[in-house]
Amino acid sequence: MSKNKHKAHIIVLILLVSMLSMSMVSAGAQKEAADAPIKLAGLFNVTGGFSSIDAPGLNGAKLKAKLINEAGGILGGRKIEVVGYDTQTDQQAAATQARRAIGDGVVAGLGYGDTTYVMASAPIFQSNGRPFVTSGATHPELPVWVGDMFFMVPFGDDDQSYAIADFAWNDLGVRKVVIWTDDSMDFTLALSKFFKQRFIELGGTIIHEVFYQTGDTDFSAHIARLRDARDAEAVFVGSVPNEAGLTVKQIREAGINIPILSADGYDTELVATVPGPRYANDVYFSTHTYRGDNRPEVLDFIAEYKKEFGRDPENAFAACGFDAVGLIADAIERAGSTDGKALQKALGETMNYQGVTGSIAYTRPTRVPVKPIAIISVQNGQFDYLKTWWP
Amino acid sequence: MRIRVGTRKVPIPPLFILGVIGLIAVAIADTLLNPYIVSVISFIFLYMMLAVSLNITNGFTGLFSLGHPAFMGIGGYTAALLVFPAARKIHLLPNLPQWLSVQQWPFFPAILIGGLFAALVAFIIGYPVLRLKGHYLGVATIGTIFIMRVVFRNAEQFTRGSLGLNGIPFKSSIWWIYLFLVITVYVAWKIKFSSFGRALFAMRENEMAASSLGINVTSMKMIAFVVGAFFAGISGGLWAHLTTVITPDSFSVGLAFNIVVMVVIGGSGSITGSLVAAGGISLLIEYLRPLEEMLGLYGLGQIIISIALLLVLIFRVRGLFGTSEPKLLRNNSQRDIS
Repeated sequence: MSKNKHKAHIIVLILLVSMLSMSMVSAGAQKEAADAPIKLAGLFNVTGGFSSIDAPGLNGAKLKAKLINEAGGILGGRKIEVVGYDTQTDQQAAATQARRAIGDGVVAGLGYGDTTYVMASAPIFQSNGRPFVTSGATHPELPVWVGDMFFMVPFGDDDQSYAIADFAWNDLGVRKVVIWTDDSMDFTLALSKFFKQRFIELGGTIIHEVFYQTGDTDFSAHIARLRDARDAEAVFVGSVPNEAGLTVKQIREAGINIPILSADGYDTELVATVPGPRYANDVYFSTHTYRGDNRPEVLDFIAEYKKEFGRDPENAFAACGFDAVGLIADAIERAGSTDGKALQKALGETMNYQGVTGSIAYTRPTRVPVKPIAIISVQNGQFDYLKTWWP
Repeated sequence: MRIRVGTRKVPIPPLFILGVIGLIAVAIADTLLNPYIVSVISFIFLYMMLAVSLNITNGFTGLFSLGHPAFMGIGGYTAALLVFPAARKIHLLPNLPQWLSVQQWPFFPAILIGGLFAALVAFIIGYPVLRLKGHYLGVATIGTIFIMRVVFRNAEQFTRGSLGLNGIPFKSSIWWIYLFLVITVYVAWKIKFSSFGRALFAMRENEMAASSLGINVTSMKMIAFVVGAFFAGISGGLWAHLTTVITPDSFSVGLAFNIVVMVVIGGSGSITGSLVAAGGISLLIEYLRPLEEMLGLYGLGQIIISIALLLVLIFRVRGLFGTSEPKLLRNNSQRDIS
């Protein structure tokens, strides 16, 4: 080995050791002053596959903190700071960043629009005695899996599937359906499962069920089967936003005109823009009550979001992030402290918190909030709020 | 590498000293640092394990394998299923066969079984796949990742499909991970400086010449592949008990590329190189995080890593350490391969 090469190796080794020791120094404890901002951890997948859902969520959360601070803060003038942690659609990052947030001295955590990432991070908050509020993960069993420190902003998947099933049965008079399910997501599998359960309870018939995966672009085989099912009166699509536009477009282009049903995965402009106004017809979905709603909370939120980011909120997940911070701030105010146990108690006692996505209360033993659900219709590319469903 | 009590002084092996220094560092980290830093160091150790074990197949033997995530998945699910408390398993996985749902193993043997099971699968896959060479082998091993993902997704009885297993007990303390890292490095080192290791390197340079010298190419390749998979399985088990979640998407093609990048930057065939590159890249990613958050430029870290990879590939084609180990770490008897 040449002398030069030897030197290079030693330099690399020294560099590594110095980086390690620096990280030890920077890990020194940070004590919290009485007037220091109250820190909340915003854990979101700002980059990677979930960015279209989680980036608006973090924006919403930061916006709410800003509005609270402009209005004078909480606990007699203390400011709220939402520290954003990007976990890159990576479970390992979710687990380490949750620990990092705890080390940074946050009083509570919030975030994520998907169950998997909640399960990688929320248990760490649980075991450190700090509450975690998910802004967008909808699996109804999450509070059982994580523990008593865990709270949800959104409704459960069961509720939103029941809402659209009831609507299809009562209002559209549908008796026989075909089901399409994206089987690569927990979320879409749960949607279809609960829809089937309710629809069969009501007395309906499932003609057949087919599966696809996130990222698929050609649904012609599924459409051929749908066309063969001549007595089908509607098709339920358990989908995430990615395929929402494509599925509508291809079904309509094939000349099939039965209603298309879905849940909040369809709550995206893609449903109208991808098929265009000619084909975006007879689509009905259940979602968070904010689109097409004119409660003052909703109008204020949309106006403030536009002022801050120069565009309308991308989807309901921005509103969910906004409400997560609102819920925690409300609980801190009522608890009169930032202590984890007191905060957990106050969160659990939340009654009719008026959020953008509806009023929130944790009255069920499962701690899945009882929330109103909006049924939205799409006709000629226009979204219309039809009615509100209550659990 | 003998330490003999007698009149002659025998130098303590440098690797042993390095291991003891690491042990002291782990003790300091575990007592003084906050859990975040400890978990970052744990993941760095895991990446070091992965890079060193992939080096046995990719670096020593020249088999371009991308299959590590598949074997991690097997090891991870196996270990998690064995360690999971029996009382909770009944609720979480009601359809599990009786004989499996009553098992509740200690951590160490469960991790070993995970590794062995991964090695077994590697042995079966190896038969058809190792006939391929170069990029064809790379593509075939990517295929294994997808096959395993489909298996995990559909074997709902054992894996809960895409929901994955969650609430896995947190067992992977930094001590366990360090122990397995030391074992991995030790085994890799022993292989490299043995006649078996020489045979692997000979095959990498010229397979035909090696076989004409009497090296059983097929079985040598198989052993290297299986040993790499064994350690991948072990690290999968450790990973599952560190993040406490495992889903079919936990171990993706992206992860395979990350490990390959570490091996390439460190130098194919150099154990020290793998350790330094795995440590350096993981540290860099963590260091850039606060910067990303400050500037609001999420994703900056990945761009910087990619540029670093390009620069290394342009200016130091054989990686930081080439095939060799620094003289400082070798015994006089361990002649380097260059």
